[in-house]
Amino acid sequence: MASAFMAYPELRHPFASSSIHSEGSVTVLYEGRQVELAEHAAGEALLIRPDDLININGFEVKPEGVCHGDLCIPLTTALLVEQDDQTWFDLTAFADLLEQPYVADHEARVWSFAEIPAKRHNMMTEAMAPSLELTDRQGNIFNITDLKGKKALIVTWSSW
Amino acid sequence: MPVWQRIYEELNDPNFVLICVAEDTGGEAVAGPIFDAAAPTYVQIVDEDHRVSSAFNFVNVPSAAWIDETGRIVRIDEGTYSMIHSFGEGEQAITFGTDVYEPALKDWIQSGAQSRYIQSVETITAQIRQHTPAQRQADAAFCLGNLFRQHGDAAKADHYWQLARTLNPDSVNFIRQNLTLTEEGSAGEQFQKMMGEYVSAGRDYYRPIDIDHE
Repeated sequence: MASAFMAYPELRHPFASSSIHSEGSVTVLYEGRQVELAEHAAGEALLIRPDDLININGFEVKPEGVCHGDLCIPLTTALLVEQDDQTWFDLTAFADLLEQPYVADHEARVWSFAEIPAKRHNMMTEAMAPSLELTDRQGNIFNITDLKGKKALIVTWSSW
Repeated sequence: MPVWQRIYEELNDPNFVLICVAEDTGGEAVAGPIFDAAAPTYVQIVDEDHRVSSAFNFVNVPSAAWIDETGRIVRIDEGTYSMIHSFGEGEQAITFGTDVYEPALKDWIQSGAQSRYIQSVETITAQIRQHTPAQRQADAAFCLGNLFRQHGDAAKADHYWQLARTLNPDSVNFIRQNLTLTEEGSAGEQFQKMMGEYVSAGRDYYRPIDIDHE
C-alpha cells in the first residue's frame, strides 16, 4: 500500500455513542441548525406544529400564506393537514413545493434539508453572494450579506 | 494559513475582510491547531458540514469567492493557492499551486472596480457550477452523515457520506473527506485511483485560473 497522509487517524470516529434527541422527538437539520421537535406526527412525511416552522427555516404560517419577508407562498390543503384533532404543517410537502431536496433517516427520526433553491437564485443569475450565516472560532455570528461596504475574500481549505 | 496571514497583513486594509474556512468534519480538534499556528488576525471558520462549499457550489479545496462592496461576486471557484508549494526531491518531487493569484488579489483590493482581474456578471454566473437536484440533495446527506458521526454511529455516518458521494460524484471534498475514515487516509491509493477516474471523465475540480502572468 502506498504511504498515505493521515493527519489525525485517532480522530476518524472519536465520538462516543449518544442520543441525537429525547425519546419520541424528531430532529431537523437545515442551514447548520439542529432543531429538535417534541411534538410531531412523523411518518413518511414530516408533520410539525405550524408554530415550529419559523425556528426551522424562518418561514411563518400566516392567513395570507407561508411567508418569509415579502415572499408569501399560498397555503394549500397539501401543506396543512388535520390529523388526531390537530392541525399540522407538512414540512416535507413544503420542501417538495420549493424543490428543496432532503434526506430522511426514519429509523433515527432525523430529516436533513438542503438549501432552498430560491435562496440562491440571485447568485445563480446576478452573481450576488448568497445569504450564509456563519460562526467564527471566537463565537461571533455574522452573515456574508452583512459585509456590504467591504471587499471580502472567502477561501476554503482543509486539514485532509 | 501563514501565507494568507502575511498577505492579509501586507494589504492592511480595514475595508478588506479575509475569511478562511476549514472544510473539516474533524472540527476544531484538527483545524484549530493549524489556524493557531498561523497566529491569524483574519476571520477563521471551522465548517464541519462544508456549508460554505455547498453555498457556492465548490467541489474542492482550496476554492474561493471574491465579493465586492455591493455584495457581488467578482471572481469564483479557482484553485485558490496563495503560493507554489513544493514537496520531495528528484523524481518524487511534487509541485502544485500558483504564484499569480496573490498579485491579482492585491490588485483588486487596491484598485477595486478598476482592477482588470474582476469578472463580469455573465462570466461569474457561467463559472458557478450548476448543481442538479441530486447534487444538492448530496449536501443534505453529508450533513446527516456528520450528525451520526458526532453521535458515535460510524455505520450510519459512512452510509450517508457514501450516499453524498453517489449523489454528487463531482465533489472532491466528499471523496477526500470520506477517505479520512479509511486506513490509508485521504491521499492514498484509493484517492489516486478516484482522481484518475475523475480527470479521465473530463471533470474539473477547479475552474481554469484565468489570470495573466506578468
